[in-house]
Amino acid sequence: MKMTPALLIVGALLVFWASAFIIVGIPSLTMKETPSEIWRPLTAEEEAGHRLYVRNGCSYCHSLYIRINDWDIGAERIAKSGDYVGQEPAILGSERTGPDLSQEGGEHPDDWHLAHFVNPRFTSPISLMPSWEFLGPVEIRQLTAYVQALGLKAADARVARQRYWKTPAAAAYASGLDANVEWLHSQVPEVWRRMPNPYPASEASLQRGKRIYQEFCINCHGPVGDGKGPAFRYMNPPPLNFTTLRRHLVENRYIGGIFYYQIMNGITGTGMPYFKKHLESEKIWDLANYLGVSFVGYTDANIDPRGIDASYEEPWQNRYPQPGQEGAGTGK
Amino acid sequence: MFAFVKKPQSAALAFLIAGAVWFVVGALYGMVSAIHLVAPEFFSNIPFLVFGRERPIHVNTMLYGFTGTMLTGCGLYYLPALLRTRLYSEPLGWLSFLFWNLTVASGPLGFSFAYTQGREYNEYIWIADISLMLAVVLLIYNLVMTIVQRTEQQLYVSVWYFVAAFLWTAGNYPISNVVWHPSTGAMPGLIDSIFLWFWGHNLPGLLITPLATGAAYFVIPRITRTPLNSHTLSLAGFWFLVALYTHIGGHHVLQSPIPNWLKTVSVVDSIAMVVPVSIVVLNLWLTARQEGQRVWGDPAGRLVMGGIVWYLITCIQGPLQSLPYLQRVTHFNNWTVGHAHIAMLGFGGYIALGAMWHILPLVSGREIYSQRLVNLQFGLITFGLTAFFLVLTTAGLIQGSAWHNGETVYRVLPEIAPFMISRAASGIFILGGSLIGLYNLYLTLRQGRELQPVELLRAEEAS
Repeated sequence: MKMTPALLIVGALLVFWASAFIIVGIPSLTMKETPSEIWRPLTAEEEAGHRLYVRNGCSYCHSLYIRINDWDIGAERIAKSGDYVGQEPAILGSERTGPDLSQEGGEHPDDWHLAHFVNPRFTSPISLMPSWEFLGPVEIRQLTAYVQALGLKAADARVARQRYWKTPAAAAYASGLDANVEWLHSQVPEVWRRMPNPYPASEASLQRGKRIYQEFCINCHGPVGDGKGPAFRYMNPPPLNFTTLRRHLVENRYIGGIFYYQIMNGITGTGMPYFKKHLESEKIWDLANYLGVSFVGYTDANIDPRGIDASYEEPWQNRYPQPGQEGAGTGK
Repeated sequence: MFAFVKKPQSAALAFLIAGAVWFVVGALYGMVSAIHLVAPEFFSNIPFLVFGRERPIHVNTMLYGFTGTMLTGCGLYYLPALLRTRLYSEPLGWLSFLFWNLTVASGPLGFSFAYTQGREYNEYIWIADISLMLAVVLLIYNLVMTIVQRTEQQLYVSVWYFVAAFLWTAGNYPISNVVWHPSTGAMPGLIDSIFLWFWGHNLPGLLITPLATGAAYFVIPRITRTPLNSHTLSLAGFWFLVALYTHIGGHHVLQSPIPNWLKTVSVVDSIAMVVPVSIVVLNLWLTARQEGQRVWGDPAGRLVMGGIVWYLITCIQGPLQSLPYLQRVTHFNNWTVGHAHIAMLGFGGYIALGAMWHILPLVSGREIYSQRLVNLQFGLITFGLTAFFLVLTTAGLIQGSAWHNGETVYRVLPEIAPFMISRAASGIFILGGSLIGLYNLYLTLRQGRELQPVELLRAEEAS
């Protein structure tokens, strides 16, 4: 076969356009824009936020679709084609340096997002995301509106839940330190409130707890656990001050189960997220022991009621005295 | 004042120089991006140096600015040379140069201030899209007219690839950039991802690949002083490329809810890509058989051959990672970033640099200032890119396996931290290579020994 100019030009164009018709033309003719059950149009402010999301390259680190093999945030809903109707562009993304955001709406309250946009490390200490403070309050609000709409109707339900719980949580904080802790503890199911930490507060476990505290908690609750981390001034209600918990132990003994429950599930309506997707059981109990030992001066690790020790556990005696009984039993 | 635009081969030289400059610009933006993935508070809160804006500057400047521009410069030399004529119009070549580089410049100038359409590989705003299209259309006209006035009857394979690259881009680019929607450059709804990745994959496949293949087909036989191994293989490689490559963009959104038949087509044709790639690689290697010493001994030839090796690695990896089962682990993480770098810098970039060093004396009439600096550039980039590829592939496997095993993205960040540091470190070598290249190019044009007409003629006739 001799390659003549005519064959080159006509042939190259013919094959190309035939292929282009298959790959772009046929989908254009056949793909239907049918809204899925969670679809709704974006509001003007959300639309403005979407433009910001596109123009500032958020999509280079965040995807907008959940796959069948995903476990992270949003994994409850595999993406459907009808989720993207009318979005221009529905920018799916190719990289996850940060989490997928297709169901991010309502995962956090607005004040968490403000702190996070100003400096992502305020809420997520090891985040690689840049600070977006330079966008200014108006654009950050628009961006927040868009992010809170991700997931559309499903997001609306979550945002409504955040709003619903924000009121009593803020009111509890306003009613004083002790009343706030009482309210928080009253939100934990009864069975968890008298549950001691089943893991011994060994040296190694406290080390692990410390590392988790530094990677997840430190910039809200602060290096000394007083709730005065850099995110403090953005949050309403502000992060909990752990050092007041000493006078709120259940029956003056139990705190592990409350820690576990609140770390696991978060406190919807406040900036406290749930951590059960990030941390498995042992890690949460280790963190609970670290919080107790470091900031409360007490942990209920391994006290009664307890079952048979796990096979790996070394003999470990809880020597942390209950509040008010310091010195008792030590001979002093 | 503008007499220089009529000087023979001046447009080609302009493209070559611009390519070397964009390489440095792109590498600088890559370096800052890499640092930001290690230390996000470095240069914090500077709007034009925020990761979401600097990353597309890096990517687009490297694709269109470095690889695309430099390979176009090579083609503007070899196409007329192979047809034994002059470029139809140097001023038109300069006009293409102007429009092309305006588009590339709209990256650093525009993206920095959020003037972008935000769709990967389709970021340039509408007016820059139009500017690029003008450049492409002018190039097509110029090239076709050059073919018309040729004195050599036969069209060598490099000519096909060079002309076809722009013929395809003239169709590809406006479709995928949805130029009929100027404000967003996008289609509404999920179908946009199909438009987007049509060009997203054809940019490497039907622009950079033919440009680089054409350049390699030109340089290798000249250095080995052997005729091309097989005309039939060239034909097969060319037609398979356009017939298969156009179909495979869907593998970028394989796990999204696009229609299943599109996923099937994209996977099948991705695997089939092994065919045209092996054909090109084999044809070039068979051309160079018994003459390896000549290729290795020639610094420019070494770069081009290095590019062919990266091409083979890229195009074995590419089809494999389009397999849905494998992609569950390799998608969305640094594995893909590693792959993109060996494709664009390894394959496209190596061949662009090698062909540039080979062609530079022919268009400038000056000997390369320092062959040792070309070797140094080869060494720096080869070390940097190899490290980069290994580091990112490993990081990607760690991320992908951890996610697949139920860990969250946030939890895996500490695991990739050492890899992000190594990646930034290997980036220094690539940045160094780009700077040395620009330095060598500058000194060649300023201080390189002027070749005598006899030497030039001998060099030109070496094919």
